[in-house]
Formats: sequence, structure tokens, C-alpha cells
Amino acid sequence: MKRWVLGEFGSPERLLEVARALRERGFVRLDAHTPFPVEGLAEVLELKSSRLPALGLLAGLGGAAGAYLVQWFTQAVDWPLNVGGRPLHSAPAFIPITFETGVLSAAGAVFLGLFVVCGLPRVTHPVFELESFRSASVDGFWISVAVEESTPPETVAEVLRTLGASQVSQVEGEE
Amino acid sequence: MSEPAPKAPVMADPLVEHPLIEGRYSNAELNASLMRPVLAGPARWWWVLVGICSALTVLLMVGMGVTFAKGVGTWGNNIPVAWAFGIINFVWWIGIGHAGTLISAILLLFAEKWRSSVNRMAEAMTLFAVACAGLFPLLHLGRPWKFYWLVPYPSVLRAWPQFRSPLTWDIVAILTYLTVSVLFWYVGLLPDLASARDTARETWKRRAWGVLSMGWRGSARHWLQWRAAYVVLAGVATPLVVSVHTIVSFDFAVAQLPGWHTTVFPPYFVAGAIFSGLAMVLTLLLPARRALGLHHVITNAHLDVLSRLMLVSGLFVAYGYVQEHFFGWYSGNEYEQHAMNILRVGPYAPLFWTVIFCNVVVPQLFWIGRLRIQPVVLWVAALLVNVGMWLERFLIVVAPLSEDFLPSSWKHYAPTWVDLSLLSGTMGLFGLGFLLFLKLVPPVPASEVKHLQHELESSEAFAREAAAQRRSGGGAP
Repeated sequence: MKRWVLGEFGSPERLLEVARALRERGFVRLDAHTPFPVEGLAEVLELKSSRLPALGLLAGLGGAAGAYLVQWFTQAVDWPLNVGGRPLHSAPAFIPITFETGVLSAAGAVFLGLFVVCGLPRVTHPVFELESFRSASVDGFWISVAVEESTPPETVAEVLRTLGASQVSQVEGEE
Repeated sequence: MSEPAPKAPVMADPLVEHPLIEGRYSNAELNASLMRPVLAGPARWWWVLVGICSALTVLLMVGMGVTFAKGVGTWGNNIPVAWAFGIINFVWWIGIGHAGTLISAILLLFAEKWRSSVNRMAEAMTLFAVACAGLFPLLHLGRPWKFYWLVPYPSVLRAWPQFRSPLTWDIVAILTYLTVSVLFWYVGLLPDLASARDTARETWKRRAWGVLSMGWRGSARHWLQWRAAYVVLAGVATPLVVSVHTIVSFDFAVAQLPGWHTTVFPPYFVAGAIFSGLAMVLTLLLPARRALGLHHVITNAHLDVLSRLMLVSGLFVAYGYVQEHFFGWYSGNEYEQHAMNILRVGPYAPLFWTVIFCNVVVPQLFWIGRLRIQPVVLWVAALLVNVGMWLERFLIVVAPLSEDFLPSSWKHYAPTWVDLSLLSGTMGLFGLGFLLFLKLVPPVPASEVKHLQHELESSEAFAREAAAQRRSGGGAP
């Protein structure tokens, strides 16, 4: 069972200030929920940069290599077919498929990777229990503080209220 | 913040004639206006159009049924014109898709702000256009149910596909293009599906969008990964715009037929693809903007920049025409020269000059700034370009084939009703897809437009501050 205290703020600028203030007060297990990406938030929350581009590169190169290998194996080794005396291992003719397969693999890997690193798909989450949380995808800028079993959530809620949250709620459940 | 906003004149960007968002809204207002098209019930025009498109789709089914039952002999193809509508429509439809990827991917990489309001519709157009395009190579195979022979799978026949043939390149290119377009579109859609889930009132709508949005919570971690993934997908989709249509042009250019065997084909095809795609974007965007009341986010700025792009890509296409005819003449080869002559003065001359009018003359209107923002002018021009680009593909495919090397084998071509029902049927399928798209998912990306408005406001605030500082004599050292 985990517990979060959530506070809603009116603007991305305010959200950034609050996130900074919370960090200064020693809160570390922070997250934000916003309707659009907020510049600078990742730096304040000290999120690690995404490794999806590297994954895409690896998958792309792997896919391209695999496609070339299949073409070479089928045309030059397993089923050699002499068409007008052209070379069996005809590299230029293999380039289009090699390239396209590389792109396809990179895109597929990044797409799947996105879901894995974001912990999606999931249809339920404790925060969805909150009716007011619906504003997080419309115009509400929420900050969420994960709290330990031992700390009373009221103290965190009080901090969020002093920082100007228009509403404060807490939820608990399995992440 | 009780003090009134300073009245200092805002420094407008001198390069931007029209605002990207008309007026300023709160995030909630903007969100509501962009979700309205999907939350409100379908209007009467929507049902009328769905009816028309469904009828055409039925016609497509009939055409496909006849083709399956009797074979491609029901088409107008003959010898020597063994390729006709099947390939013309394929090249036309897949070309239309390219502008969607151009707008969504390339402009994302260039951080172009104006893409935000139009990219979703352009991408949806791409998806349906590519789906329509994919039908034709399948149908023209003769035995479409054996299409999987083009894929390398360990079959008991122990026969592999011939990878030196453009047909296998095509299937990989189309499948890749379709898949990557769907993935890119869906990733971009996630935050908006979440927004639709959260604004919908009916429980079943909430559930449906809840499932589709896959639990998107707009967490800072989500956004970080999402942006990285979106940029990478745009990065890999960008070379697809060039490579897919280049491969389509290889279908022709690797043959030795006069009029096809030319090095100008890849860039010429890509330019034509983007040109026809931009025309189709405008064809769909202008009525959709009016019907759904999206004037505040699809402004004159968007029309202006789209028509400029159409002008530029039209000039590329015109350059391609010049090159094609120049090389035909300069080759000194009488077969090549004949292939070009029949366009200018031969049996295909009326079509050829229609193409020149639609694709070269009409876009020149957009040198005039006032016309670039006239929806009616733009829409008519876009329709003419669509027609012109279809005719161009018709000429590319049919003209060289019908009069090739040996006059005794020449034969001209006329489509049959099956050909025509397939062409109009895919238009219906395309329209049906687009209409469903307009009702099922937010047609304008709300999260991106809200982000854009925030950026615009920040830069305006910055300009105000800078102006105030200048007036007070301060400023950066």
C-alpha cells in the first residue's frame, strides 16, 4: 500500500516554484501531473534523461543488419537464382529493404519501450479515484508527494496548502 | 496578481503575419473548444457525408469482389498497358500520405510551431491514404490471397521472395510506412485521449477513452519519456517520406522502358507526393475547420504557410517536368524522345496540358499573399492539384507503356467500370475513415495547442518585459 498527497496549482510557473520549494524542504519522492510538458520540471525533479533514443538506435541497427542478413542468405546462399547473370549477392538491390526494416525496428522498439518505461498500459491507478484529478489533463497542474507509512500525510498536505495549492487530496493504493 | 497588465506594445515577430492562435483562452476554454467535436453528437452534415462515403465503400467492395471472383481481366489493362489503374491509384494515394508525415515529423524536428494545430488531421489523412494505397498492389497481384509469398517465411515450397525485385521493396516500404505512421500517430494521441477521457460525461465514453489512453496520467516522468519517444519516432519517420516514395519511383526507374528509365524519378516523385499531399491536407482541413468551428486554432497563419508550401513543392514538380522532357530530348534516343512527344502533341496531349495547368499554373496564384488566406480559392486550387496529380500519375504509367519500342504492339488504354469503382471506392473508404476520425478522437491536438499557447504567452511576456526595461533605460549590458 502506498500513499500520495496531491496538490493542484494554477499554472506551470507556479508548479515549478512549488516543486523547487518542496525539494528545498527535503521532499524527494515527487512527481507532477500536467496537461502538457512543463519546461524545466525534469531538471527540478532531477529525472534521468530518457534512454529511448539509444534503444531506438540499437534496434534500428539490429533490424537493418537482420534484414540484410536475410536477403543475403536467401538470395546468395539458400536459393541462388541467376537472373540475367546478375550477382547473387547484389548489395545495392538489398539497400531499400535493409533501410526500411531498420526504421521499422527502431520505431517498434521505441514505441514498446515508451510503454514499458512509463509503466503503461494500465487502466487503473490510485490517482484516478480522485474526481478532481480529472483536471490534470485539462488545466490543472498537480504535484504529488509520495509519503511513508510512518509520516502523517496531514503535515505534507499543510505544506502544500501553505505553498498555495487550490486543493489538496490524498490517495492510497497499489502503484 | 491584482495589478493590471502593462500596456506596452508587444513586439510582434516581423516574419509572422497572422497569429497562430486567434485570441487568448484559458487552458480549460481551449481544451473544451478542442474536445467539443468529439464530445458533441454528430451533426447532420456528418451523417450525410458518412452516407455518401459508405455508398462509395460498398462500390469498392463490389469492385473488389468482381476482381477476386473473375480476376484482373475485368480491369482495362491490356498488353502492352499491363499496369494501369492499380499502380496509378497506388502511387497517387501513397503520395498523398507523405504530406502528413512531412507536417508531423519533419516540422516537429525543426520545432515549427504552426504544425501543432494541423498535424493530427494530416497524420490521420496519411493513415487512411496509405491504407487505400496498400489495397492496389494487393489487388493487382492477380492472386491477392497469396500476397504473403512476398514475405520471407520458411515455407514448405523452399522458395524465397526475389529481393532484387521492386515488388518486394514495395511491400516492405508500405508496411513500414503504415506501421510507423500508426505508432507515431498513436503516441501523439495518448495525452489527448486522456484528456477526452477526463472531459467526457458519459461513463461508456470515459471507459472507451480510458482504455485507449492506457492509463496516461501526464506525470513528469511520462512527459519526459514521451517527448524523447516522439522525437525519435519523428526522426525515423522523416527519412520514410523520402525513402518510401523513392522506392515507389524505383518500380518504374529500374525498368528499361523509355520515359521510365530516368534518374530524375526519385526526387521528382517525392516532390509530387508532398505536393499532392499538401493539396489533400487543404482539401480536408478547410471544410473541417469550418464545420467544427476551429478557426481559432487553424488560423490564416496555417493557410498561409500551407499554401506557400504548396507553391514551393509545385515549383519542384514543375522543375521535374522540365527535367523529364529535357532529358528525353537530350538523350538523343528516339524512343525516349517519342515517349515525351506523345505527351506534348500526341494522343495524351489534352491530359498533359491539363496537368500543366493544374500543377504548374494554378499554384502560381499563391505568389499573391491575399489569395493564400482565401479559403475558397485555396480549396478550389487544392482540388485542381489533386486532379492534376492523379492525371500526372496516369500519364507516367500509361503513356510510355501504350507506345513503347515497337509500333506494331502499340495499344491504348481505357479503364473499365471495375477500375473506376475501385478508384471512387477508395475515395469513399478514405472519406469514411476521416469522418470517423473526426468523431472518435480530438482532431486538433489539445495538449500541443495548450503548450503552444503557453509558449506564445511566455514569449509575449518576455517581449513586454524587455520593452519595459528599454523604456526605463535599463537592459542587459
